[in-house]
Parts: sequence; structure tokens; C-alpha cells
Amino acid sequence: MAQTGHLTGVPAPAAGPWLSPVTRLRVAILLTLLVTWEAVAASGILLREVVPSVVVIGRSLAELLFHPDLKWPVDIGMGGLRFAQQLWVPAFYWHLYVTVMEVATALVIGGFAGLAVGLALGANPFLSKAFERYLYYLGPTPKIVFFPVMIMWFGVGPESKIAMGTLSCFFPIVLSAASGMRQIEGVLIRVGRSFRLNTWQMVTKIYLPAMREPIVNGVRLGMGVAMIGTLLAETKLSNKGVGFMIIDAYNTFDMPRMYAVLLTLFVVAIGANALVGRASRG
Amino acid sequence: MPTAEPILVVENIVKRFETQDGVLTAVDDVSFNVMPGEFLSVIGPSGCGKSTLFNVMGGLLDGYEGRVMVGGDTVRGPHASVGMIFQEESTFPWRTVVDNVAFPLEIAGMAKTERIERARHFIDLVGLDGFERRYPAELSGGMRQRVSMARTLASEPKILLMDEPFAALDEQTRLLLGDKVLQIQEELKQTTLLITHNLTEAVQLSDRILVMTYRPGRTKRIVEIKLPRPRTSEVVGSDDFGRYGAQIWAELREEASKGLQDDESRVARDGGRRA
Repeated sequence: MAQTGHLTGVPAPAAGPWLSPVTRLRVAILLTLLVTWEAVAASGILLREVVPSVVVIGRSLAELLFHPDLKWPVDIGMGGLRFAQQLWVPAFYWHLYVTVMEVATALVIGGFAGLAVGLALGANPFLSKAFERYLYYLGPTPKIVFFPVMIMWFGVGPESKIAMGTLSCFFPIVLSAASGMRQIEGVLIRVGRSFRLNTWQMVTKIYLPAMREPIVNGVRLGMGVAMIGTLLAETKLSNKGVGFMIIDAYNTFDMPRMYAVLLTLFVVAIGANALVGRASRG
Repeated sequence: MPTAEPILVVENIVKRFETQDGVLTAVDDVSFNVMPGEFLSVIGPSGCGKSTLFNVMGGLLDGYEGRVMVGGDTVRGPHASVGMIFQEESTFPWRTVVDNVAFPLEIAGMAKTERIERARHFIDLVGLDGFERRYPAELSGGMRQRVSMARTLASEPKILLMDEPFAALDEQTRLLLGDKVLQIQEELKQTTLLITHNLTEAVQLSDRILVMTYRPGRTKRIVEIKLPRPRTSEVVGSDDFGRYGAQIWAELREEASKGLQDDESRVARDGGRRA
């Protein structure tokens, strides 16, 4: 979990002779899951194709990650140096790249829009009274219902996925920025005024640092829903991206491959969350 | 006291607020001068408009009658020669002590190594050397208030305005910080205006004390404190100190009891809810 506070670091885990009890329990949970899965797979209670053996999934995972089956044209020009070549890579990486770019773009657009609108709402009680009610109600609405609209507006390509991600992450970011701004101690603003800061200095030297925690929390929530929005959209209608890979594996009934993609996706999501979490500790 | 032009002139300040119960006159026709190097305290019961006066002088509040002049300029918004220290916790929790103190220098565009060096000087001055790399959350309330003090001093204001800076601290810490203020005062010849409701603090530190009336806040009397300088907190035990304390309390007592009665009748009327 995120460590709040400013300097107090995480207390060093007791350097036991082996692993801490919590770590041991975590490993035990994973092992139990694996064993249970394998037992169900071996027992044949459920269709073998639906619950394939761990070994089969592992093989599929290896193929997914290491079997090059796609030509990826790479063209990097830097100054006089130019690197242009077609690389054989596993298709997964290309799809992952597409999805990551979609989520990242959505997060940048939605993040900046959310931050700007949130600051405006936080600074202006009249605006916040007028608009925030709507934002609160729209926030938890499943954004996927807007996907048909986005397809009409932006087409079936990555643009409509980015739109879905943007729409999803805008709400948590705008709401946490607005409430974060209202929670700033009034005296800090008076300190800024007494030192005669201009508007830009007020924003960069006082408002944003004072709001760091709510903003990072908003971005973390926003990233989660941007991933959901983007992947959900990819599974509905697309021809690239990790969401497409999942639904494609499902449609061709390649369950081991589907599980392999899901597993990899978990790891990527955990990594992305950890990255934002680290930023919040700074 | 040096005889020269007053560096701070407060002229016929009247400030009214619109409230639910009608117009409240917080400050009513207050005038005084502060000479360079002088330490003036404004004392009065809670609700006498001291903090309003502080915000008017600091340029943080407008919509008042009268005028405030700093070194000949009429104040319209925060003035470059005025430094303010607030009653509330006001250090930046995301900055270390040294970065807090260097803040006004950073805003002024001073180079990093230079401003760190300047900041260290003021950290030494308030007696926090060794804590440069700490964050405010790691310090006590008294230490944090000294960080705020060093930060404001680092901007080298011609006039230092303080609004009950030690109100949240215990009596002993307050006396010792008073010593620190006296010592800094001695060293920098800093012109200071202190807003306070604390008698001991006012007599311990001031050259003159302005006693304000309770609501509307008017000047009741200005008392000159002729205790010798340099002073320390030991002055608190002297006979003269006792006499000044008694004199000011005699002035203040009536006002404070008015405030108390007012509070009581308000509670009786509103059943304890704040208006």
C-alpha cells in the first residue's frame, strides 16, 4: 500500500533467518492456488480445454513471450544516425505496445484535462457548486456505454480506445484535484501572497506541491479505470491491443493462450501501479 | 529609540464586515506609528480586531477606510518591505527546513548555492542549526514556528509583522522563544509589530504596547515599556515588569470582560451554536 507521510520510510522488515511470516503466507497462497488449479485440471471436473493444466498454460506463455511471429518495422532516426529495420518479434509485444500507448495517451489527455478542470473547480466555489454534482453522478457511470458513440466519432482504431480511456480517467482525477485544492491550508496561500508570488508561482510552488497526495491518488485511480476502459473497448471492437488478443484467443478457443495473456496483463498492471505508487512516496 | 521618520504609519483604519447580524465594525479608527528599530505590540482580547489589523497592514485584506504607509508608500496588497509570520502552522511540509527558509530567496531568483548559504545564516539565527535537512513533520511545534520565523527573516523585511506566533505553544516554550526574539531583535535591529493577547509576551518584548478595546477595536491606550535592553526572559521576575503587567492588565481587564460577557450572551441566545 501507499506509504503516506513525508519522510518516515517503511520500517525495515525484521531480517528473519528466512522470510517474514507475511511473505511466507503470500507464497503459500500462490502455491495453494496453483495446486488447486492443477488438481481441478487433472480431475476433469471441468472441461480440460476450459481449465488447462498449468504446464500447458506455461508452454503457451513461453510461446507468447518468446516466439517471434510478427514483423515489426522499426524506424528510429536520431541526427545522422538512422536505424530502420524490420524486426521479428512475438506479436504480443506489439499488441502490448498498442495498448500501453493507448492507456498512456488517455492518461495524459484525461490527466491534464482533469487537473485543469479540477483546479478551476477547486478555486471557484460557484463553478464547483454548479458542476460538481454532475461529475459525481457521471463518475461511477460505466463509460463503456459511450463506446458506440466513440466509434462513430473516432472510428474503430486506437483513437476510440484512447477516447474511452480518457473519458474513464477524467472523472477520478478531476474530483480528487478539486477536493485536494479545497483541502489546502489557507495559511499556506496567505504565506504565498505575503511573499508576493505571481499566479504561476502560486500554482507551481504552493498549490501543486500541497496537492501532491490527492493528485497522485487521483492519477492512480485514473490509471486503473483508463486501463479498464481501454481494454474493455479493445475486447468489443478492434484488431489490435491486448484486449483484442484476449478476445481473439477466446474466439478461437485457445484457452491456454488466453490465460497466458491474462497472466502477463496482471503483471503489467501490477508493475504500472507500483510505479505510480512509488511516485507518490517520492 | 532612534528618532527618524516612522517606517510604518497606520492612519484612521476602519474595517467593517457584513455578518448575519448586520454590519460588524472590527477595527474602528485605529492610528499609530512605528519607528525604525522599534518593537510595538498590539494587545487586546479575542475579537478586538487584532488579526484584521494584521491582515490590513500586511496587504492581505482590502475594502477598509484609512491608509497604511510603509516607508512612504501606501500599501495596496502585500508590500515588499513587509514580512509576515502567521499564527497557524505555516511551514511547507513538502520542503526541508533549509528549503523552507530559502523559499523567499528562491522566489527572488537567487542562485541555489547562494540561497542555501543565506538560509543557513537565518537557521543559525533562530537556533535550528543541525536541523537543515529535516522535514517540518519531524520537528516540534516551537521548532516549526522558528522555521517560519527564519523563512520570513530570510526575505529581510524592513518591517516584521507577527500575528500571535506563539499562541499555540506552551508557556515555557513561549518565554524561551521570546528570548530568541529579543536576541534577534538585538542583532538585526528589526522593526517589529507583534499582535498578541498575551500580557507577559507583550511586556517582555516591546518598546511600546498598544491596548485595543473590545469590539469595535479602538486604541485604548499606548503604554511605553521602559525596561532596559538587552533583555532576557529573566525580566519577567523584576518589579518593573510586575508594575507594567498590572498597568496593562488594568486597561485590558475591562475589555476582556466585555468579550466574555458578549460570548456568554451569544451562547445563551443561540443555544451554543456559532453564528
